[in-house]
Amino acid sequence: MLMEIERIKGLNFHKKQDVAIVGAGITTFKRRLNETGKELSYYAVKQALEEAGLGIEDIEMVVMGSAPDAFDGLHMKGEYLLDGSGGSDRPYMRVFVGGGTGVFAPIAGYWHVASGLADVCLVVCEEKMSSCHPHPQSAFKYIWDPILDRPLQPNLIWIFALEMRRYMHVNNIKHEDIALVSVKNKANALDHPAAQLAERITVEDVLNSEPMALPVRRLDVSPPSDGASALIMVAPHIARQLTDDPVWVAGVGWALDTTWWTNRDLYFPRYVAEAARMAYKMAHITEPRKEIDVAEPYDPFDYKELHHMEGLGLARKGEAPILTREGVTARDGDLPTCPSGGLLGVGNPIAATMGVKVAELYWQLAYRAGKRQVAKEVTRGVAQAWGDLMQVGTVVVLSNKR
Amino acid sequence: MVFNEKIVDAGELKHIEGKIELYWIYTSGEAGDRFFKALKDEGKFLAAKCTCCGKTYFPPRIYCEYDFSETEFVEISGEGCVRAFAVATLDNNEESLKNPEIYAIIDMDGTDGCIIHLLGEMDAEDIRVGMKVKPVLKSKEEREGRITDILYFKPV
Ligand SMILES: [Zn+2]
Repeated sequence: MLMEIERIKGLNFHKKQDVAIVGAGITTFKRRLNETGKELSYYAVKQALEEAGLGIEDIEMVVMGSAPDAFDGLHMKGEYLLDGSGGSDRPYMRVFVGGGTGVFAPIAGYWHVASGLADVCLVVCEEKMSSCHPHPQSAFKYIWDPILDRPLQPNLIWIFALEMRRYMHVNNIKHEDIALVSVKNKANALDHPAAQLAERITVEDVLNSEPMALPVRRLDVSPPSDGASALIMVAPHIARQLTDDPVWVAGVGWALDTTWWTNRDLYFPRYVAEAARMAYKMAHITEPRKEIDVAEPYDPFDYKELHHMEGLGLARKGEAPILTREGVTARDGDLPTCPSGGLLGVGNPIAATMGVKVAELYWQLAYRAGKRQVAKEVTRGVAQAWGDLMQVGTVVVLSNKR
Repeated sequence: MVFNEKIVDAGELKHIEGKIELYWIYTSGEAGDRFFKALKDEGKFLAAKCTCCGKTYFPPRIYCEYDFSETEFVEISGEGCVRAFAVATLDNNEESLKNPEIYAIIDMDGTDGCIIHLLGEMDAEDIRVGMKVKPVLKSKEEREGRITDILYFKPV
């Protein structure tokens, strides 16, 4: 199997203007919320506008991110969500790369502003998974190849069990090393007001939790959730009017690996490495482990945080569990990782996890994360998501120095 | 900003129930047609080799996704090695499975590809990554030209 990176060519980059983030919003993440998806979007947008000191009339363009239509049970979900997202009478578009959407939507917001098309762009992400019955998991039955995969009745959990097994096998990693991620993130989430599954648990709790598809157990997994989040992205001259401390988008990157997911080795997320290479090149980062101060890698499963840290170049292959065990990734460590509490602790409303990835990074770099603020001084951070058929990597690098 | 307390019973909320009532007919395509006919009629496995870079795709495809060249069909044994496996104890609706199902990614001999399928005739404790396995097919009369014509893979 070809595992080298640097297959993606032509990362030419001619931007019109820099892009700053000046406000963010997030709703509570819960298993089931009474609010409709439109209402959730409205609450998240309202909060982001308040933080930025803007009104909806100041918004020029809107990007909406939301994952499969099957969750909400409506085709053309983007159009359905338009009014609550502030999209009426504006250039508006929905972007969607499955679980990668929460970081892809701000990438789309970035190109709206960097290109000079807009000076003020609102990015909204929404997911209402609880509408889907008998279980949101059922919607994933319909993402597979209908001829080759679906007759075998695949389930997303056991697909990830295969990947986790491969990661453990190649790097000789034990389940207890992986469980430490769940312990850390659920504890971090105790300080997040939006959190759904914040709790103090132990490695033993994870190892003794209900088996789902071994090696995956209940506490290795993030929960399905309802929720929304929002970001305001602006041009430099607007940022100057609004705040003395904007956070700048230093780099963006995204990449997709082949749809034939069985045909790649699963132990290393090459697509994340490619996306990171693009974002780091733009951000002039050559040694991510040294130059990144805080990270929000995508953690729908505990092993995924480790897997993604290695894809992002924050750890060598097989090294992420060691950094975790040594406390390097703790909130007071040298490389705080998922200080938000992540998807494992705060919840996993697919696209809306933008609120615990890119928005969290923004709050950390603006020193507005409150009780979740990491101990060390921070200048640069990376946020990442992953999705589609385990094939997309989406990466954003933010910096509080322009 | 006020949000409702955690509600786990949908019946507590004002709601209506609804369905999207559609069904689909999926075709297996040019490569799939050849593959499934060979499997159904002859119990044979086909892969497809790129005429440019030599990469051998399994399941077969009519094109190489990397250089966009055509491929030619080649016969393979159908045997392979376990690359990874999972022991599923819950179904898609998170209900307990009476008998856990073992799924594996199988690295197919003579190809650059893998297939996902069930493992059978072995206990979960005995499975190892790298283990050699071969397919068990339905009888010729029962085969329908579907991936489920392969019942499972078992140890060689
Ligand atoms: Zn080729």
